[in-house]
Amino acid sequence: MKKFAVLQLSGCSGCEIALLNAEEWIDQYDLAYMNLVMSSHEVPEVEVLLVTGGVRTEEDLYRLRRAVRKADEVIAVGTCAISGGVANLGSRSAVREEFFAHEERLHLPDLLPMCRPIDMEVKVDRYLPGCPPTPELFMAVLRKSPDMEIASSVCQECGLKKDRDMLPEHLSGFRQGEVLSNICLINQGFLCIGASTRGGCRALCTRAGYPCVGCRGPSDAFIEKGSEKWLNAIRRIFSRMTEIPEEEIEAALRSPQLSLFLFQFADYAGAGQAPRHKEQVV
Amino acid sequence: MTTLTFPLSRIEGHARVVIETRDGEVTLAHFQAMELRGFEHLVQGTPAEQMPVIVPRICGVCSTAHHVAAVKALEDAYDVTPPPLARKIRELLLLGQLVQNQATSVFVFTMPDRLGLTSIFEQAKDGHAEEIRAKIAGRALKVRKAGTDLISLAGGQFIHPVKAVVGGVTSGIDSEAAATMLAQLEEALPMACDLFDSYWESSLTMRDRIGTWGDDAPAHYIAAVDECRPNYDGDLIRVMGPEGKMRDRFPAREFRDYLTLEDTDYSYADCTSYKGEVIRANSLARVNMAEQMGTPRADQYLAYFLESFGRPAHAILLFDLARGIELVYGLERAIEILAEPLDDEDADVPYTPRDGDGYGLVEAPRGPLIHHYHIEKGLITQAEFIIPTMHNVLAIERALRVAAERYIDAEKVDMELERAVGRVVRAFDPCIACATH
Repeated sequence: MKKFAVLQLSGCSGCEIALLNAEEWIDQYDLAYMNLVMSSHEVPEVEVLLVTGGVRTEEDLYRLRRAVRKADEVIAVGTCAISGGVANLGSRSAVREEFFAHEERLHLPDLLPMCRPIDMEVKVDRYLPGCPPTPELFMAVLRKSPDMEIASSVCQECGLKKDRDMLPEHLSGFRQGEVLSNICLINQGFLCIGASTRGGCRALCTRAGYPCVGCRGPSDAFIEKGSEKWLNAIRRIFSRMTEIPEEEIEAALRSPQLSLFLFQFADYAGAGQAPRHKEQVV
Repeated sequence: MTTLTFPLSRIEGHARVVIETRDGEVTLAHFQAMELRGFEHLVQGTPAEQMPVIVPRICGVCSTAHHVAAVKALEDAYDVTPPPLARKIRELLLLGQLVQNQATSVFVFTMPDRLGLTSIFEQAKDGHAEEIRAKIAGRALKVRKAGTDLISLAGGQFIHPVKAVVGGVTSGIDSEAAATMLAQLEEALPMACDLFDSYWESSLTMRDRIGTWGDDAPAHYIAAVDECRPNYDGDLIRVMGPEGKMRDRFPAREFRDYLTLEDTDYSYADCTSYKGEVIRANSLARVNMAEQMGTPRADQYLAYFLESFGRPAHAILLFDLARGIELVYGLERAIEILAEPLDDEDADVPYTPRDGDGYGLVEAPRGPLIHHYHIEKGLITQAEFIIPTMHNVLAIERALRVAAERYIDAEKVDMELERAVGRVVRAFDPCIACATH
């Protein structure tokens, strides 16, 4: 049985919980380390190391460097490991100053100036984006040659119908009080970015009536390009399908809800990272 | 002076316990949360209406509770009342979270302590233990999954749900989907009872081996559920005194009059107390306050629990058994709700945002969770998260001290202490990602 380990850095355990939901691995893979469900203090030699969470503390960094030496393959799982995640919303100078003024503690692992993606520190072989990735995607990444069909975008997996005659004038969203089932959320005045977001999630959110916020990151068409290309694609869709003023879309694109995920893959985090190659991304 | 450090596992997040002794006297017992992301700071400037999608990321284990608390805080600020159907679907959502969490804590986190294993996913060397383990692992995950599938159905996503929105929920649940879910829960219920029976039995064996249920002085209890048929979509926080009398009842908006918040220099998590007294939240608090669970199987377990341990029960390891009672209740109550029509009324009302303060309260699996937002020009300018695990920090440290005193004397430290530390901390099922946020 293939031996694998899960190293959790600073995150929310959501990725671990998603993995627990993919029951199939129990009989097929040998879990050698995962602090959430197992009492063992050191990552042993493994074929696959899944890393979740971002590098927020000095201890995270130490444990990451120590663990990757033991693994044949390192996979960054989830938004935090790939971009630093939600903690990176704090990577604004005003917030950072206040943050350190209130939160630093002398007798605990030091906090780093930003919550770093793991590939700023170690070599990563593959990426599994999603917040969190679904159990099905976890199985696909463990199997290596995924036997699941992954559509190029969330939009293709969604199936809500576009309506040419419904041209919203504002991003009025949930204030209207009703979400129509079966009609595209853009037609209903929601900021949905499923058209350019990577598929594989089975469009869980949009089919439940909530617009896609892009947690799987950009689709293959944009993944190796800067964030501006991705943002342009979103702008084009809204100018074609709605009558919403450009400024309103612009402000929404810069909102924390989206930037949480938009900065996953390119220059958005300002980290000067080279884009990830699409072959490495599940 | 001797300092003993115990790294922790089989809990959510990164924490450790530090115990100091001098000549056999325990001089200090600290529970240290080791990570921090800083949500109270990083959400500043966020458009308030985005909070229900951002704050679930505080914790993947408790995301449902944060999702609903955020929506309720905004509804409080905007003065919006969600329709009854939406309240019902939110209750289902929180029951899914309860089932998922209690099954994980009971079978994945604490069962190994009873079987002498490092994990239920690791093969045991002893044949008998392996036989039990093999029987548990697969079924435990099935029961958990019934909980997460319920979250998916009621929340759209099994972690970081999306369906609760200001004014209600995005949609009801159609009868076909409800029937499928109901069948899955009915299959999970006997499985959960069966697993809980063997858990109870192995807890008795463990008690005989170590000679205690984890005795500690009586404490105050805090919960946001009613006496019967607990609804985790709570409205008021209640406090019970150590002798079992109700002391206080208050809305989230008034929490500062009753709860004192303190920070420490040795942990990234703050802690709360009730008028200077140690409080306990989580399963045992709710079970101590419950006249009845209100569903048949859960009430049988509750009666047996009261017969065995009295009310209020104070021993630490009883948190674990109380969690099992709630697991059974969660499944039974969800089955009741799913048998009712869930798509016959409006699920959502329109609203107009406005500035001001909003307070949202939910009884999360670990206790009362409060979100407070101050909104100016539609943006969050201040956010407070009063986290259930924070209520338990002082109680955990006091219980750790009792355990340390039991196993440390002037001559030696009994190695059972390491296991005892794990058992005590896991009984409180702390969540570090939440506690530090």
